[in-house]
Amino acid sequence: MTSAVLHGNNVANRTPRWRRGLARNSWVLGVWLLLGVLLFWYSTLIPVFGKFQIVSISKNSLPLIYLAIGQAIIVIAGGIDLSMGALLLLTNVIAARFMLGQPIGIVLLIAVALILGIGLLNGLTGYIVSISGVPDIVVTLATSYIWSGLALRILPSPGGGTAPGFRWLFTGAESGIGGTYVMPILMMVIPALAVFIFSRRSRIGLSMYAIGSSSVAARLLGLDVRRAKIVSYAIGGAMAALAGLATVALTGTGDPRFSVGANATLNSVAAIVLGGVALTGGAGSVLGVVATAVILIMLNPILTAMGINANSAQVIQGLLIAVVMMIGGLVTLLRERAS
Amino acid sequence: MSQPTMSVPINSPKRKAPGPLARAGAVVAQYPTLVLVGVLVILVLLTGAIEPNYLSINGARSTLLQAAPLGILAGAQTILMLAGGIDLSVTMIATASAYVAANQSPHGAVIAILFGLVIGLIVGSINGVGVTVFRVNPLIMTLAMAAVILGLFTSWTQTFLQGSTQVAPFIRLLGGGSFLGNRIPYSVVVWAIVAIILIWLLRRSGWGRLLYAIGDNEIAVRLAGVQVWQVRITAYMVAGVLGSIGGILLAGRTGSVDLQLAGAFLLPSIAAVVIGGTSTFGGVGGYTGTILGALILSVLNSMLTFLNAGQAVQQIVYGVIVLALAWGYAGFIRRG
Repeated sequence: MTSAVLHGNNVANRTPRWRRGLARNSWVLGVWLLLGVLLFWYSTLIPVFGKFQIVSISKNSLPLIYLAIGQAIIVIAGGIDLSMGALLLLTNVIAARFMLGQPIGIVLLIAVALILGIGLLNGLTGYIVSISGVPDIVVTLATSYIWSGLALRILPSPGGGTAPGFRWLFTGAESGIGGTYVMPILMMVIPALAVFIFSRRSRIGLSMYAIGSSSVAARLLGLDVRRAKIVSYAIGGAMAALAGLATVALTGTGDPRFSVGANATLNSVAAIVLGGVALTGGAGSVLGVVATAVILIMLNPILTAMGINANSAQVIQGLLIAVVMMIGGLVTLLRERAS
Repeated sequence: MSQPTMSVPINSPKRKAPGPLARAGAVVAQYPTLVLVGVLVILVLLTGAIEPNYLSINGARSTLLQAAPLGILAGAQTILMLAGGIDLSVTMIATASAYVAANQSPHGAVIAILFGLVIGLIVGSINGVGVTVFRVNPLIMTLAMAAVILGLFTSWTQTFLQGSTQVAPFIRLLGGGSFLGNRIPYSVVVWAIVAIILIWLLRRSGWGRLLYAIGDNEIAVRLAGVQVWQVRITAYMVAGVLGSIGGILLAGRTGSVDLQLAGAFLLPSIAAVVIGGTSTFGGVGGYTGTILGALILSVLNSMLTFLNAGQAVQQIVYGVIVLALAWGYAGFIRRG
């Protein structure tokens, strides 16, 4: 990835622009292609592939997509957030507890307040990271305990609920079953595009790439490293809140279990790495991450359709992640040898 | 950018006479373990104030019983973090080893323990190969490994590992028993042996020095002619074996084995290392700090149990303390 960017200037006169773009975004295109192949394969595996399957895949992948987008932005800016899953839990239980039995207007108000509030809260985490000098991984590990503890305090056992209209917003059906695929796909595309355009076109979005690539160089260039870091965490928090809202819309309840949050965090990290975001920061795209999040969610129904039981499915999922990353590692190794 | 945003340089030099705080900071930076010992003493006294019975041999014994497996698992993290790695599969290695040890328990404790350790060695080697040869990010490699082990053992517990939930009496003695009139737990002896070996390896052996060097600057080490991959793979193997030891002790302490045996120790094992002052970026730290970190977390656990706080409050306090310790520590170091 970096080498393509570096050589871009010398080769600019000879290589056509679309080809450079292709080379630069090869990973993103690759994972979208993989998603397409998997979708096609899945459609041949099951007897009927139609609206119902599209709705189910798109709505079930919403929480992970949001989390992965948030994680991607934070990692691109040079951090990592292990509290994403805990923030999802926190939003999920607050929403489930306070939305129960409320009219849709109030529910939407709560949703907006949660997105802003959790975004601010995680912005505060980013602030702590940037002033304390404690590594991101440690600060967010600590906050993950705090948020999931709070979640457990707010809703000690699974329960609560939300308005049918709110469920329709994310799932396309007021009961959360079946319905139209327009809503989940819209809810998938709008935030993803918004964050993507923000990260590639706005000044602060570009400075996130800069500080993730080299925070010292970015500071010497006169960029406000702290501000970019805080904004990246705030966006991550807002996306985690969206994930929590999507979870309450999907399941219709709140679930404060710690393991749910921990798994969600780990999946978000897996999704971004598979999606081509370098954990060292400064490289990658939000769009690739969306595809890998859907792939990770789709693996389960695919493996079930193939007649593989859930335990083996988990083994295969783990192996797939490892193998894909190994291939990625080998490719970089070979490229280095070649150049 | 037409108008560059001005930012204040972080390391603006201030030449002032060092105040008492700065001098304390300097002392602390030189002997970082002092702070940890101080925190540990304060926590023990606080716990004693809440529950006077805690300040007794019995109280110390129960805390040490908790601390020993955590300290050993955190030892695995310490080695890897010093070289810039991490192992998210260490608790799954522990659980897997405990299962295998339970499965082999009818053949005697020695065989059971050996088989358990072999599991750690195998999984650690695979982790090491993935991270070094295939250059998979350690976070991802070990995460995937944890998923694979969990899946395998979930299905195996329904087939050939079915019913292997009890470990041999000797392992139970090792994990939960005590000697000298029920005063000193055997698991602490195991931990002490592990600690002595680890500290010796890290401080005195060439391998240990290479770990620090790799964590500090891998490229320089490679240019100096060191086979970095060999050092890394062996580090993952040692970490795997440590995970196994921790798992077998845990199985001995609880007496039975299930898939959730060690899962709750993953984040504490990382937290203990971090509280102990080992940098997650590698190159800085040591096992002495980790030991204190594990003790601090265990005392904290006892204190929260005595406070009779619910699980929710426990988690919140746990998070706040880990954050405060790490933050205070970083601040002290910088001031020094």
